[in-house]
Amino acid sequence: MTPDTALSDRELMISRPIEGPRDAVFEAFTEVRHLSQWWGPEGFTTTTHTFDFSEGGVWEFTMHGPDGTDYPNWIRWIEIRVPEMIVLLHGDGPDDPEQFSSTFLFEERTDGTRVTLRTEFKTKELRARAVKEYGAIEGGNQTLDSLATYVAGRSERPNE
Amino acid sequence: MARARTTADAFNAIAEPHRREILTLLKGRERVVSDIAVAMGMNQPAVSKHLRVLREVGLVYVHPEGKQRRYGLDARGLEPVHGWTGGFEEYWSESLERLNTYVKKRQREEER
Repeated sequence: MTPDTALSDRELMISRPIEGPRDAVFEAFTEVRHLSQWWGPEGFTTTTHTFDFSEGGVWEFTMHGPDGTDYPNWIRWIEIRVPEMIVLLHGDGPDDPEQFSSTFLFEERTDGTRVTLRTEFKTKELRARAVKEYGAIEGGNQTLDSLATYVAGRSERPNE
Repeated sequence: MARARTTADAFNAIAEPHRREILTLLKGRERVVSDIAVAMGMNQPAVSKHLRVLREVGLVYVHPEGKQRRYGLDARGLEPVHGWTGGFEEYWSESLERLNTYVKKRQREEER
């Protein structure tokens, strides 16, 4: 895979320059003390339950939304090529039928590192859904109930 | 903090537990008001009031059938909620922004 391979209708891609040498950027993916400082959107935090950064190893963690809602996350590293590439499977657990595969590419640039993430979903429907709701309700069955609980959690604390 | 009008948007509409219960009941099948009232153990006027709020924000549609009005779930009304929970793009552009900040900070610390 290269960053310019055409995207299929089951894939999503995002790419951006990071101001730092490739080794340092790659290192930020390899330990909990680094990952916990940046993984997830603004306002989210993570609690790690298990972590083993090796091919076949697993990272199990809970993401805490800004409203206090918790989301289970499960990642298995499939391929690790220091400091160029990481391929992983991501879902809400080892048995999540909607797990998707993500590839991070780290490319050296004169002024830093370009990080490219390509994610491949099992179906184009799952891809379409991820465009709208990724992270917060990823992996799990998108039901009205979970959505309602999510919003209710937010609205029950109107004074915050 | 003053409460926003419940009819303002989908967020407020589904923040009310009875209305969420109605939406769950309407998932997959249309129902008439009396049917919903029985299922929820509420009186019909109260259910009608909730249905009106849900209709105003586009979460529920009405399907007249003879003398009856059947109500159904219109999931398109949930789009603003989906959008708010964040998509792939937002998740990763924010994560990578944080990664950039973190890597820069560590570089500065090493230079010291």
